[in-house]
Amino acid sequence: MIALKDGLKFSGVTVVCFCAVFVCTFFMNFYADVLPLKESVSAEALPLYTAQLATAKMVCGITGGFLSVIAAIMVVFYIRIYVDSHRRALGTFKAMGYSNAKIAASFLVFGASVLTGCALGFGLGWAIMPFIYKELAVEGMAEITPTFHAALPVYLIVAPTAVFTAVGYLYALVTLRKPPLELMRGTKKLKVRARRCRKDRPLLVEMCLSTLSAKKMLAFFVAFSCFCFSAMVQMGASMQSLAEGTMGAMILAIGLVLAAVSMIMAMTSLVRSNAANIAVMRAMGFSAKERFAAVFLCYIPVAVIGFALGTVYQYILLKIMINLVFSDVAEIPEYSFDVPAFFITLAAFAICYAAMFAFFLYKADKATIKETFTE
Amino acid sequence: MIKAQNVTKSYGKTQALKDVSIEIADGEFAVILGASGSGKSTLLNVLSGLERADGGVVTADGENLSEKNEAERTDFRRRTVGFIFQQYYLLPHLNVQNNVKMGAALADNKDYLEIIASLGLEDKLKAMPNELSGGQQQRVCIARALAKRPKYLFLDEPTGALDEATGREVLDYIMRERAKSGCTMIMVTHNPAIAETAEKVIKMNSGKIVEVSKNAHPKTAYEIGW
Ligand SMILES: Nc1ncnc2c1ncn2[C@@H]1O[C@H](COP(=O)(O)OP(=O)(O)O)[C@@H](O)[C@H]1O
Ligand SMILES: [Mg+2]
Repeated sequence: MIALKDGLKFSGVTVVCFCAVFVCTFFMNFYADVLPLKESVSAEALPLYTAQLATAKMVCGITGGFLSVIAAIMVVFYIRIYVDSHRRALGTFKAMGYSNAKIAASFLVFGASVLTGCALGFGLGWAIMPFIYKELAVEGMAEITPTFHAALPVYLIVAPTAVFTAVGYLYALVTLRKPPLELMRGTKKLKVRARRCRKDRPLLVEMCLSTLSAKKMLAFFVAFSCFCFSAMVQMGASMQSLAEGTMGAMILAIGLVLAAVSMIMAMTSLVRSNAANIAVMRAMGFSAKERFAAVFLCYIPVAVIGFALGTVYQYILLKIMINLVFSDVAEIPEYSFDVPAFFITLAAFAICYAAMFAFFLYKADKATIKETFTE
Repeated sequence: MIKAQNVTKSYGKTQALKDVSIEIADGEFAVILGASGSGKSTLLNVLSGLERADGGVVTADGENLSEKNEAERTDFRRRTVGFIFQQYYLLPHLNVQNNVKMGAALADNKDYLEIIASLGLEDKLKAMPNELSGGQQQRVCIARALAKRPKYLFLDEPTGALDEATGREVLDYIMRERAKSGCTMIMVTHNPAIAETAEKVIKMNSGKIVEVSKNAHPKTAYEIGW
């Protein structure tokens, strides 16, 4: 059902996995290499060593951990939305008599894109390891050369691939437990009932609300991608002052890539799952502006909430992490809310959000009614 | 009046319309009849401004649709056109009332509840499309199209997904509503019996119009065979 070429559609998943594993690879490796050095460090180099270890721990914890969590949530969201948007196909195959296991097996392809991303991230992480080590090196400390730790590829490649492959497969299986007719009819009944008996509202508002409430998963996804954008970019900017030089720039770059990817994934899902509405509205003669508004407006509050939460989250996380990690180091680095970074991020966010949405909507707007409904 | 002159349209290598010319007068009820794949839907979409012809000229009330861009054709559809499709294409997340309201909003029509009632759907106002039978969904679709008060009503196999009894009922609703509103109606079908209800029959075969005939005495939905 899902051809391997459809794997391209999951390139977002691949990129997200790549970024997370890439960063984790060299930080975790560095940490694992530096940790046993404690005995050999001379007395006068010890404070520096401790500070360096603390920085590595924090950057590793925040960046790596944060990225991994984000990537994991992202992939799970994406799997759910993707499987849900294929309910009709699932129902049809089930009605034709294919076994659930067999249908669900076609979603194993998710595993391939996760594997690709993780493997690439790990490989590239290794490739630039010497450079990173030089960046992180401390004067007065023996030079460290990267050592291969066999556990790392297990954590960073095998485990995520296995987990996400299983998640995709199992979620498809769970979805397939519904009777085929219900799947083919598309909309879920329960969600539909919840919105009855309300008073009359203007049509555009009603359309917005009904789309929002029928596609809650998607709303979460959009909010989450905005959350990521906000947290990631501001975090990257703050890291510039905490971890100086190339390191900071690299973290910022990865934050930007992830932010962009998460946004693109959310936007494509958003526009794709509203394609039918857009096509019907266009056939009926609603202008481009009205079509844009009917889909776009309702996600603005969602996006704003996501952005605000992201801002709060990254601030609190940095505060806590700094105090926690540097507690045994003499001087705790200064960190206060980065106001310019906030506004720059906000502006970039607004522009990206609107531009990306307009772009994908423009693309989707070309599809005919028939195409969107037979998808 | 809608007029097509030497219209051509291709999808890749498939020539869906080959030099088609036709005229449909105001208030007329025309049927486009032909086998599956003969280009009926393509002709309907070109006449209604849903798609643009590759060659030739399509005019509606003197407006040249062939010269209009997508936005201008959308505006044309907004002002003058109603659609009814075989697959209904109701918005699944809006209830019956709001689906019809979508059409009404475009024409600033406040009396759309009457249309819903005249299609026998007054007790289904709050029902969602997936809770309705095929015939009921198609009636909602008719109400949605009529609520726009269109000058031209385009129907693509409106009974194609329905059984005979339901199909007759829906067809009867369509014809009664047309008589009330006096709109021009252009309907695609592959069923020669249905064509007997029309005033004008445009027969198509592999992208060409092979015959245009008039019915002196159009039959009602209950008089035809099926
Ligand atoms: N969007 C499309 N892309 C490619 N080919 C199409 C498309 N729409 C129609 N066709 C082709 O054009 C021809 C006429 O199609 P259509 O007008 O839908 O026929 P009918 O409605 O009479 O069954 C067919 O051969 C069909 O395969
Ligand atoms: Mg057709």
